Amino acid sequence: VLLVRWSRYNPYYLEPEVRKEAYSRPESELSPEEKEERELKTLRPIKAAPNALTSSAFDDPVLSKFINMMMKDGNKVLAREIMMQTLENIKKKQVEKYHKAADGTKEEIECNPYAIFHQALENCKPVVGLASIQKGGKYYQVPIPLTDNRRRFFAMKWMITECRENKHRRTHMYEKLSQELLAAFEKEGNVIKKKHELHKMAEANRAYAHYRWW
Amino acid sequence: MAAQGGVLFQEKVSRLVSKQNGKPVLKPNRPLVLKDSVANRKPKKGEASCITEMSLLMACWKQNNFVDGLCSNEIHSFYTCVQKTQATKKNMSEQGDITGGRLSPKQATTLLRRFPNLQSEI
Repeated sequence: VLLVRWSRYNPYYLEPEVRKEAYSRPESELSPEEKEERELKTLRPIKAAPNALTSSAFDDPVLSKFINMMMKDGNKVLAREIMMQTLENIKKKQVEKYHKAADGTKEEIECNPYAIFHQALENCKPVVGLASIQKGGKYYQVPIPLTDNRRRFFAMKWMITECRENKHRRTHMYEKLSQELLAAFEKEGNVIKKKHELHKMAEANRAYAHYRWW
Repeated sequence: MAAQGGVLFQEKVSRLVSKQNGKPVLKPNRPLVLKDSVANRKPKKGEASCITEMSLLMACWKQNNFVDGLCSNEIHSFYTCVQKTQATKKNMSEQGDITGGRLSPKQATTLLRRFPNLQSEI
């Protein structure tokens, strides 16, 4: 029997705090608001932590979000398996490159797959997005600033859709994903191209920027 | 009950509706009953924020053929501008609800829903 947290809670319930650092801070370091929050946590009930949330050092919220986005029909086991194989594949390729490289260039090769994943996602995030705004009966594509969450979502979505659609039917998902992530790390590849196309559209429509009202 | 305090009001309404003093002033097709909600105020249309930063960024992109590494300064200034505007908007919306002495439409509606207008005897 798997223990799963419910999805609907009374709004009275508070979110669980999983990080160890939040509890090891002494009383003196806290500001008055944080002291109030701590008191509230002793009185109010707390939601059960989701299965994927851990207090271990390897818990990565960005990675968890990416795995959730890759998941289909609730098959978290498969999505996580694909992600782990991807990271392993990246590590293998980078270590191979490291051993083949000349002595001078050895330190520049990044072998940590998590660092590669984060940097690749950062390189894929668009800076401005387009919004469809109606003015005078017509709809215009207006360049708007995006929030951090939205940008992260776009980067992940483009990566996943690109890996699902533009691959040979015999290549595995992890293989294609590792290729795309390494390409994004080097700022090449289809996802980076997509980001540049969005930027070009925004630049072309910069005249409509005043149609925004926020 | 409020109806007893408004007896004069009821008489005035019946005078306005009756045909005795010439044409009736009011011809209500619905019962004259107050709703339990207040109409929403149209939010003021502001201006687009951070346009100068965005135009600088676009110019930089045009010059450098959309390579992001060369435009990092402009990107950074754009992000700081966006964060500033978001912070100011948050502050404005928080303060704007309390000051003014009047309730916002949302607050008025919640209050009226807690004490609704009774239309029939329960």
